[in-house]
Amino acid sequence: MSCRQWLSSALRQCQAGLAQQQPRAFSTSAPVAARHIFGDNNNNNNSNNNNRRARSNANEDLYGLVATGLQRGGPLSAEEQRQVMEQQHTPRAYVRDLRNNATTENYMRQMPRRWKTGDVYAPRDLSPREMRKWRQPKRPNRDIVDMLGFSPLDNYRNFSLISEFMTPMGRIEHSSKTGLRPVNQRKMAKAIRRAIGMGLHPSVHKHPEILRLGRHGVPSSAIPMASDPSQNRL
Amino acid sequence: MAARSVSPGGALLRASRMFALPTPIPAPSNEASAGTNYSSNTATLAFPTHQVITTLSSSRKKGDWGLKRPLPLKSTTKSSNPMLRVKAIDTIEQITDYTSATDHGITLRKFQELGMPLTARRPAGGEQTDSTSTMNLPQKSVFEDELDVTDIHPDKRAQAIDTRWKFSGPWLAGQTQGEFKKWLAKEVRPKRSAFREFLKKNIARELHAAAAKVAVDKGQDQPALIDPSSVTEDQLIDYLRKLRHNNQALYDMVGQFLDLAPLKPPTVGQLGLPKENLSTLEFREMKNPYAERGPPVTHPSAGLSYLRTSMYMENHPIYGPQRQHSPAVARIVRPRRQTQALAARLGVAGLIVNTPLGDTASNSIRTGAVYDRIDPSVEGGAKVWVQPQRASIDSNGRVILTVNDSSPEATLVAQELLGDATCLGVQPAEGQMYQREKASDIRQRYRAPDAPTMSSAQDYGLRRQ
Repeated sequence: MSCRQWLSSALRQCQAGLAQQQPRAFSTSAPVAARHIFGDNNNNNNSNNNNRRARSNANEDLYGLVATGLQRGGPLSAEEQRQVMEQQHTPRAYVRDLRNNATTENYMRQMPRRWKTGDVYAPRDLSPREMRKWRQPKRPNRDIVDMLGFSPLDNYRNFSLISEFMTPMGRIEHSSKTGLRPVNQRKMAKAIRRAIGMGLHPSVHKHPEILRLGRHGVPSSAIPMASDPSQNRL
Repeated sequence: MAARSVSPGGALLRASRMFALPTPIPAPSNEASAGTNYSSNTATLAFPTHQVITTLSSSRKKGDWGLKRPLPLKSTTKSSNPMLRVKAIDTIEQITDYTSATDHGITLRKFQELGMPLTARRPAGGEQTDSTSTMNLPQKSVFEDELDVTDIHPDKRAQAIDTRWKFSGPWLAGQTQGEFKKWLAKEVRPKRSAFREFLKKNIARELHAAAAKVAVDKGQDQPALIDPSSVTEDQLIDYLRKLRHNNQALYDMVGQFLDLAPLKPPTVGQLGLPKENLSTLEFREMKNPYAERGPPVTHPSAGLSYLRTSMYMENHPIYGPQRQHSPAVARIVRPRRQTQALAARLGVAGLIVNTPLGDTASNSIRTGAVYDRIDPSVEGGAKVWVQPQRASIDSNGRVILTVNDSSPEATLVAQELLGDATCLGVQPAEGQMYQREKASDIRQRYRAPDAPTMSSAQDYGLRRQ
C-alpha cells in the first residue's frame, strides 16, 4: 500500500512537471494557443492526452513502474481512480495562474510603452509598429547638463554620475549617445578622465558600489549623496 | 452697413480655409524632454496642435476640402470620418501636407459623449494624483467667476492672484536648476533698476499710508501723495534690508513685479534646512488651485466641455430618471504588474486613466483578476464598465479623468441600450420592431412567388387583373 502511495505521488510530480512545461510548447502570440492556456478543461484534457503519447522515455518508465505497482497492489478503488484522473486532467489553480502570468508577461514584452495618466491613444498607438518604437532607448534630445545646471568638472567624485556616461567596458560614451552639446561633452569626458586618473573610478567597468547596489535591486539614481553645501535652496 | 465695408474679394478670402486655419500651437512636452529616453515621435500627442478640418461627403468625393488644390481621393475617401489636419497648405514641392486627424477628432467626440464638466479645485496630474482622503472633496467648475478671471486691470493683478490661471512669469517650482539660472540671467537681471523703481513706489505708498494714519488719529487733513522719486537711496537700502529678513514679503514683492505663478509653500522635509533656520521662515497659505502643480498651459477647460455642473439627471425612455450618469466602457490598456510595481491603466474615451482608489472592483481580490492579466482569448481585449466622475486639465494640458466603478444597475441599463443585455428578463419588443432588414431577408422576400419582382400598373390599381 505504501508502495502504491509513493508511486501515485511520483506520478503526481511527473504530471505537475509536464503541466509546467506546457507553456513553453505553446506559442503565446496565437489566440488559439491562448485558448488552450486559459480555456476550458476539454481543451486541456486533449492536450494532456496528446502530451502523454509524446512523452519522454523517463516518463514512460515512471508509468511502467506505476503499472507494475498497481499489479502488485491490486486494482485501484473507484474513488482512487477518480482522484488519479483528477490529478492527471485538471490543471491546478496555481499552475493555471502561472500559465496566465507567463502569457501576460509575454504580451507585456510586446507593449513596452509606460502609459501615463492623460495620454491620448488612438488604435494606431496600440499597434506593434508603434509599440516597437518605445522599446529601444533613444538619444536624449536635451542636454542634461544644461538642464540641471551643474558643472561636470565639480562632480568627478560622483561615481554614479560618472558611470552614467561610461560604457560597461569603461569607455567614455559618445555624444551621440549622451546627447550633450560639445562643450558639456568635453567637460564630462574630462571629469571621467580625472576620476579614473585619481583612482576614484575603475577604468574597465562600473563602480563596484553601483554593482553591489545593483545586485540588491537599487537603481544608481537612488544612491544617496551628501548634499552640496554650495547649492543653498534659499 | 458694416457688412459692406469688406469688399467681395476680401469677404471671400476671410471665409476661405486658408485664413480660417490658425497657426499651430506648441506641441506638448513629450517624454523625451521629461528626461526619459523612451519615446516615439509618431505617437498621438496629449493634445492636438493643429486644427482639424472636415468636409461634406459630396465635396470629399471630389477631393474638395476648401484648400488650394484638391486632395488625393485614394487617401482621403476611405475613412468613415472625414477629418484631416493640414500641416502646410502649400510647400515648395507644390503639395499640400496633410494627415488624418481622426485620433484627436474622435477622442474629442468620445469625451463629449461622457458629458463631463471640467473642474478645478484640487491639482490634477502629477505622480501622486489622489489619495483616498482627498478623492471625494467637492470640485468647482473652471467657469466659476472666482476661478476664471482673465480681464484684470494691470494694477490689480496682485490682488487677484488666488483667482487667476494665466501668469506672464514662470512657475518656479516647475523649472530645473539650469532653466532657473538661465531665466535669472536673461530675464531677471536686466530688470534690476526697474525693480528698484518698483520698490520706491511701494515705499512711497507705505510712507503715505503711515502719514495718513497719523493724520486721521490727530484729526488733521490728509497729507499729499508722496512722489516715488523723492524716496532716497538710504530709505531704499533700509527697506531692502528689512525685506531680506521677511521671506514671504520679499516673495510677494518679487512675485508681483515679475508676475510669477503662485507657489505652494514647501514642507519642512522639502526645505531640508536645520531647525534654527526654519524658525525664521514663515509662509502664507496659497488658495490658488494651480499653486501645487503649476498653472495650465491652456484655459483650464481646454475648450473640451462647456458644462458647468454634473448635477443633472439622465432620463431613460422606459425606466425614467436615472440615479447615475450612464457608465462608459473602459479598456484595460495595461494590466497591473505587481512584481514591477506597475499599476493598471484604463483607457476611457481614448484617454488613459488610473484605476479607481478605495474599495473598488480593481482593488478586490475576488473581482480584480481581470486587471491582472492579458487574456488573448477575449476578443478585442478586456473591458470593464466604469463611471466617469471628474475631469480636469493638468498643468501640461493633459486631460485627467477620474473614474469609479459603475453600479451594476447602471451597467445593465447601458448594456441594454447597446443590445448586449436584457433588463427584467423581458425581450425588448422595440428592438425587434426596428431591427434592420438584412440583404438576405430582402432577397428572400423578393424570391417569394406571390410578390412581384417589379412594380406594375396593377400594384397601383390602374388595371384590373
